[in-house]
Amino acid sequence: MEDARPIEGGMMIGEKLEVIRIGAEAIISRLEWNGFKMVSKHRVPKPYRFPELDRWIRDRRTLHEARVITSLRRLGIPCPAILLMDRSEATLYLQLIEGVELKKVLDSLPAEEVERLANELGRMVGRMHRGGVAHGDLTTSNIMLDRMGNLYLIDFGLSAITDDLEELAVDIHLLDRSLESVHHRLRAAFMRSFLKGYATAAGMDFLQALIEKVKEIRSRGRYVEERRKRH
Amino acid sequence: MAASKLDEKLVLGIESTAHTFGVGIASSSGKILANVNYVYRPREGGIHPREAAQHHSRIAAKALREALEQAGVKPIDLDGIAFSIGPGMGPCLRVGATVARAIALRLGKPLIGVNHSVAHIEIGRLITGCKDPVVLYVAGGNTMITSYIDGRYRILGETLDIAAGNCLDVFGIKAGIGPMPAPEEYARRGERFHSLPYRVKGMDVSFSGLLTAALKLLGEVRLEDLCLSITETVYSMLTETLERALAYAEKEEILLVGGLARSRRLMEMIEEMAKLHDAKVYAVPPEYAGDNGAMIAWTGVLQLIAGQTLRIEDSRVRPRFRLDEAEARWRMLGL
Repeated sequence: MEDARPIEGGMMIGEKLEVIRIGAEAIISRLEWNGFKMVSKHRVPKPYRFPELDRWIRDRRTLHEARVITSLRRLGIPCPAILLMDRSEATLYLQLIEGVELKKVLDSLPAEEVERLANELGRMVGRMHRGGVAHGDLTTSNIMLDRMGNLYLIDFGLSAITDDLEELAVDIHLLDRSLESVHHRLRAAFMRSFLKGYATAAGMDFLQALIEKVKEIRSRGRYVEERRKRH
Repeated sequence: MAASKLDEKLVLGIESTAHTFGVGIASSSGKILANVNYVYRPREGGIHPREAAQHHSRIAAKALREALEQAGVKPIDLDGIAFSIGPGMGPCLRVGATVARAIALRLGKPLIGVNHSVAHIEIGRLITGCKDPVVLYVAGGNTMITSYIDGRYRILGETLDIAAGNCLDVFGIKAGIGPMPAPEEYARRGERFHSLPYRVKGMDVSFSGLLTAALKLLGEVRLEDLCLSITETVYSMLTETLERALAYAEKEEILLVGGLARSRRLMEMIEEMAKLHDAKVYAVPPEYAGDNGAMIAWTGVLQLIAGQTLRIEDSRVRPRFRLDEAEARWRMLGL
């Protein structure tokens, strides 16, 4: 059984400056270690989960995220570099990205900028998918925008190293639905530019196969009005 | 809602999407004046849509009469006639729709088509008093997480294959102990946890792999331990995605709707999760958790106030009417 350690465990390194984000599964803090700025991502124990299940989920996702970030960096996909990993605390120490969540600013950006970012994101995701990685939680809160207008992908706790088209298609489905639910006025224009960018990076044939798969996911019982139309 | 006696609106609502034929009467001051429900029980096996529809036709006049008596209301006092237009089984839906059209035409009152899933949420908001929740909807064959955002209930997450309730029911039946709540009762005597596929994709969940894996372990490990493992895994997945949705939609309330909301362990987990975010948890009480006429009547009141009524020629039933296809204009009015 895991002992109930406080959230800021005694084993954390560096000096904590501020908590940046209290996410659903992790606490992201900005910290400084010997003059070096970084962030820590601590997957906190969930008191509601059965202890063994909880420990297993947190450890597996920490380790997994480290592996995925390593392969993404190799593919040249912008994402925070790993500086240290501490499995005993389910904590990753990562490069600090000075920017904001895309979700917070997307609705207030000019239309051309939204299209440029969507296209750029499409290229990134296309490259990531061709490199065999599915993000697993691709929503606008997991995309960062810095002051120079560069995008970064973050939060790979649910990602998969895979070339299964279905897993990759779920990314597109999740992104589309996050736009539909939170930025629905931008959805059509955003997805158009996104898919253009995606095709540039992954190729038209790959994109078409992927879109077919997305349609299939959507028709599987839940998006039923669409299923009826197909018949 | 504050409405004086004079401008108080009364709506009669008819539920007939599946097993239940229900008639409710609700007022714009938020009172449920009648809630009469008759449930078709098949002699054996699952529901047969046509037989259920026949049951509904037989019982309709009686249910209507009883609802009016219960409310002490004359048909002429009604301001609108609501019915569940979908989603549901075509033959069942058509019975409710036909009855509603006939009454609306006869009385010359507006006809109101209500989305059944929206009605489950709206009765929950009325009865529990929560205002703007993230909703875990685990009714019937559904598992979804939804919240009101910009004019509609948007689907934030849902199952990619089977419903959570189905998963536990099928497991219980195949294990020979029967559907829920049996697996949860056995789980209380569980000691050892066996890991099963834990499939969460963003705010979506998937249960079919988990079910297959659990069924394979039947007979190989203690049944109580297996029940513990499957219920803990399913509930953890629901609680985790709900937690993510709460953060994503930036809400402070959680509303549980549907059969699984009766699970003590799930409720306990969700309450513990909510504490971490200073969120409040509400559950629809059993009386209004199942399909019922009152929820259609109350949602009918909201739609009437917001002007969401139907012309008879547009009142065809919609068996596959998705939650996020329904406008919720009353929410824009702050109702």
